[in-house]
Amino acid sequence: MTRAAVRYVPVSFFAVVFALPIFWVLVTSLKRQSEFGSSLFPTQLEWPNYQLAVVLADFMHFALNSLVLSGSYATIVVIVSALVGYGFARHRGPGRNQLFGLVLALLIVPTFVQFVPQFVLFARLGLTNSYWPWILWALGGSPFAIFLFRQFFATFPRELDDAAEVDGAGPLRIFLQIYLPNAGPAIAASAIFMFLWVWGDYLYPALLLHQDNTTLAVRMANAYVDPHGNPLQTVTMAGVVLYVMPLILFFAFAQRFIVRGIVTTGLKG
Amino acid sequence: MAGATHVLPRVMPRPALLRRRAVRRAATFYLLVSPWLLGFVLLSAVPLAGALLMSLTNYDGLNLDYVAFVGVDNYARAFSDPEAQHALLRTLLLMVLVVPTGLVLQLLLALMVDQPIRLSNLFRTIFYLPYVIPVVAGAWVWKIFVDPSGGLVNALVGAVVPDVNIRWLVEYPTLVLAVFTIWGAAGGGMVIFLAGLQGIPAEYREAAMIDGASPAQVTRFITLPLLTPVIFFNLVTGIITTLQVLVQPMLLSPGILGLSPGTVPPLDNYLYPVHAYIEIFVKQLFGYGAALLWLLFAVVLGLTLVLFGTSRRWVHYGVEA
Repeated sequence: MTRAAVRYVPVSFFAVVFALPIFWVLVTSLKRQSEFGSSLFPTQLEWPNYQLAVVLADFMHFALNSLVLSGSYATIVVIVSALVGYGFARHRGPGRNQLFGLVLALLIVPTFVQFVPQFVLFARLGLTNSYWPWILWALGGSPFAIFLFRQFFATFPRELDDAAEVDGAGPLRIFLQIYLPNAGPAIAASAIFMFLWVWGDYLYPALLLHQDNTTLAVRMANAYVDPHGNPLQTVTMAGVVLYVMPLILFFAFAQRFIVRGIVTTGLKG
Repeated sequence: MAGATHVLPRVMPRPALLRRRAVRRAATFYLLVSPWLLGFVLLSAVPLAGALLMSLTNYDGLNLDYVAFVGVDNYARAFSDPEAQHALLRTLLLMVLVVPTGLVLQLLLALMVDQPIRLSNLFRTIFYLPYVIPVVAGAWVWKIFVDPSGGLVNALVGAVVPDVNIRWLVEYPTLVLAVFTIWGAAGGGMVIFLAGLQGIPAEYREAAMIDGASPAQVTRFITLPLLTPVIFFNLVTGIITTLQVLVQPMLLSPGILGLSPGTVPPLDNYLYPVHAYIEIFVKQLFGYGAALLWLLFAVVLGLTLVLFGTSRRWVHYGVEA
């Protein structure tokens, strides 16, 4: 009895504390706007808030922008990072270790330090107001994903390569036919994180994109006001729920892959 | 026929063959990593060099044609800029508030959900959820949660102490920011600790139990020492990310969310990256802003190196599981 209490009471306590703010978003999203400051719980569930959230923000338009941007970024960056990770894991050349050190070193350089000169560059090249910056970032691969794939591929038995090489397969074919098809967990984990990064990022679309081609993240920041400019908190919460819901469903489904991806790729370097 | 296959080595001297093979091998390697290498040069190295140059000039985003070299003026100015000093102190304060508490919490959560308990997947999902929630949504979550009139926090406080109306985002902005940051990061750290815990062979703990160690002793003398590499990893990444916190305080500013040029967080949440952001994107002082950012990088690098220096004393990489 007491042992069970030791196991369940603290974890339940923390779960309640963690979930309460999210629970409150759901509660608020179902209140009438006039109830926002006056009644703790909705007297009746105000589902039309969700309809309003979609209509007022032109939700589908910006959701599509986010989906296109996050989807294309994630697809390209995962393929490129897998290829580069394979190169670092399985092929040798002078300066390989120094180069890999550079990949890791970039993880400590504050992203904003890199972004500001990139911003100037993109502005000079006329690439702001377009999705080009994300495509260019994706084509260069992501240090995080390269590291992940390198660690993952390093665990593959070398006999596979040897056998394929004897059969006359070149490095690219070995990558496409042996490594990539067996990289499921690493692909899933990195694709999810890369997708999430763009879907959730606020700063870059706010600085690089225009009001119309921007992402849902930026739109959610200030989409819902009444004609007098007063914030509509209840509708905003409905919008936030709609914005976050796909991610939550996705993660609940993919949770296994994420933990496995981190376990198998390891942190020990 | 068998002799024909031996012709090649005899015709070509061995060292030359080896060299050619090495060249081909190196070419393959460089071809495979070329996307990253190209991206690194064009999107990191060149812009970073540009940023270094920029920090030595009076560049304001427009005056490229008659930009002037000002030496280390921008750096000197950063050291005498009271706003920069204030902002740096606020960022360091946030780090002190967030990193140790966050680390302990992440470890605790991982230890709790690593036990054989029912619903452990549900618990994991609940703790992980805030980490998945995008920053804009997270800012809204906390804004509404601590809202003076519509928030749950004041309702709960009001149940104990009647007639309070705390304006959290005005009176205690750093506290809200710290809680938001800890809440948002906990799940990510927890998963990494979980991975570390699963890497510890069960026999170690079992052996200690058989020798009569209590669960607390097993945690203290077996689990924790074996987790030190993971603790170190989460500590370093925690410090690096906290020093860069920029968007959260802006989104938490009282009033409507959003980064319009006028959005300046309350003084308590005027963090160092916020100052750099405002100097660059509001005041258009690219040169000065670049200098501020390089100084931030110096702080990040310095702290990281100090941590690596101390790691020899307390991080144990001994056991190969």
